[in-house]
Amino acid sequence: MSKVAAVPPSPLRAFWLKWRFHINVLLLLVPLGFMPKYFADAALFRGDAGIGERVAGEVQVGPWSLTLAEFRNEGPSPDPAGPMKFFNASLCDTCANQVKATYLRIGKPRSLRAAGVIFFGTPYRMGAALPIPERTPADAEVWITMEGWDGSMHQGSIPLSQASPATIAWLNKQGVKP
Amino acid sequence: MSKKSRSKLWFLVHSWLALPIWFFVLIVCVTGTLAVVSQEIVWLANPDIRASKPSDDAEPLSFDQVIAAIKRDEPQVIVRSIIRPDESHFALSVGLSYPDGRSVEAYANPYTGAIQGISPAFNFQQFTRALHGWWLVPFTNGYSWGWYLVSFLGLPLLASLVTGLVVYKRFWKGFFRPTLRIRHGARIFWGDFHRLSGIWSIWFIAVISITGTWFLIQAFLGDNQISISSEPIVPVIAREKVPTSAPGVPAPMIPLDDAIKIATQRIPGLDATFAFLPLNAYSHLQIGGRGWYPLMFQTAQLNPYNGEIAVSHLLSDRTTLEFVTESMRPLHTGDFGGLWIKLIWAFFGLVLSMMVLSGLLIWTKRTALATLNALKREAKAQHKPVAIPAMQAETSEVHR
Repeated sequence: MSKVAAVPPSPLRAFWLKWRFHINVLLLLVPLGFMPKYFADAALFRGDAGIGERVAGEVQVGPWSLTLAEFRNEGPSPDPAGPMKFFNASLCDTCANQVKATYLRIGKPRSLRAAGVIFFGTPYRMGAALPIPERTPADAEVWITMEGWDGSMHQGSIPLSQASPATIAWLNKQGVKP
Repeated sequence: MSKKSRSKLWFLVHSWLALPIWFFVLIVCVTGTLAVVSQEIVWLANPDIRASKPSDDAEPLSFDQVIAAIKRDEPQVIVRSIIRPDESHFALSVGLSYPDGRSVEAYANPYTGAIQGISPAFNFQQFTRALHGWWLVPFTNGYSWGWYLVSFLGLPLLASLVTGLVVYKRFWKGFFRPTLRIRHGARIFWGDFHRLSGIWSIWFIAVISITGTWFLIQAFLGDNQISISSEPIVPVIAREKVPTSAPGVPAPMIPLDDAIKIATQRIPGLDATFAFLPLNAYSHLQIGGRGWYPLMFQTAQLNPYNGEIAVSHLLSDRTTLEFVTESMRPLHTGDFGGLWIKLIWAFFGLVLSMMVLSGLLIWTKRTALATLNALKREAKAQHKPVAIPAMQAETSEVHR
């Protein structure tokens, strides 16, 4: 045994030896720190604070209309299939039985078959994941297509800058010229 | 290496596996125990979730009758899903969509269809699961790092089990001669407790650590887009298979009870316990429940307009690998066979939590004792170098 062991440990070392196995109590700070976010998210998913973090506005689509909202007030989320932006929407009060399906697309669709992504959910709260190509121009329009039960089709649009300013900011960051 | 020093080494490994993270492991064990019986705890606290019978001869309603009752009471509300819990003392869990944009779980009486209450904003069940499962770290891109942090514990737990059995010489004798000395001081008591509960929990620790490690593998596979699932990807219903109707008149759908009948005919032995209604005009209606194998669900996706089954996912469709991997989650949570299995899981969860605590107590008591002895020796022989107390203490178990 070396002589070093005989030297009484410094206070710092004694402190370390005493408390080294209890430092992990600090890991509890992780869930404590995330708790406000957890409850905010739970409320967002339940819809206690409306259909999304930021309501973009009312969009007129032929005789019908919907309220479009960003699920989260932020840029697109990374996804294996490319960046996705989640929008939520609710149909106008009289639309519920009129509208068979609602679609979302960047740029004007040429036909119903190319209307974009379909909304899932009820007329009160439905959501769609809109793919955002990285080279989307900053002045792009988000087009909403609605289909009636008789096969009729109506379209309306809202500037992307109005639908999601956070997505425009994200596009600018990607190098798209404003 | 001699046999003695080898077992010393194993003993050190065993001590060090949980010691530096004992509090984290303890909280994960305690929250896991709570999560197992969280539904029961809510049942005790919240009368809304109880399935009270209006009269002794009351019969449970069919799903269509439940929806009709909800529509009668609240015509505006839209039912998105109905789940009949495993245990008959729980109310039906109904997914409801309200005109104000809320999408919430509500509790419906299975005998009357009355909405007894809406799940509160603080959902104890989900909270304990989130705390236990991913340490509340949000999922932003793939699995949350909290999920990795917690599921990684499966490995030291498994290693603790193996090294524990290696250092506990002839542990099987403990089954026949259980020892729990109460009057020999705390150190002896916690040592006996640790060993006794350890050998009786071998099966449980093995189950929890293996399934926990699976969650780690699952996250790794998921984040790397590797799929081992045989479940077919369901395309939307083809445009021509959704009828057109008069303006403002949605195409009529088949009754839910008929859909359940169709699914039950197609899937022999199916006990249909849940229904997810179509998510839009081009989406299927999903019916599902357990079959002969209680750890997995079988499902059928139907065209809601004509009752045609588009895809089904039966037990017989699963590969052998899937039988193993899909069984992992229920084996971990113990929610596959009613109250008794949950209570067994919760009991052993508590024992496991106590093992973390007793392990820590043994270590601190032994170290304290060893330090005291070392100080005494030091006082006796001032000029002799002092042995490192912790090292001596940590290995003293081997000489028992």
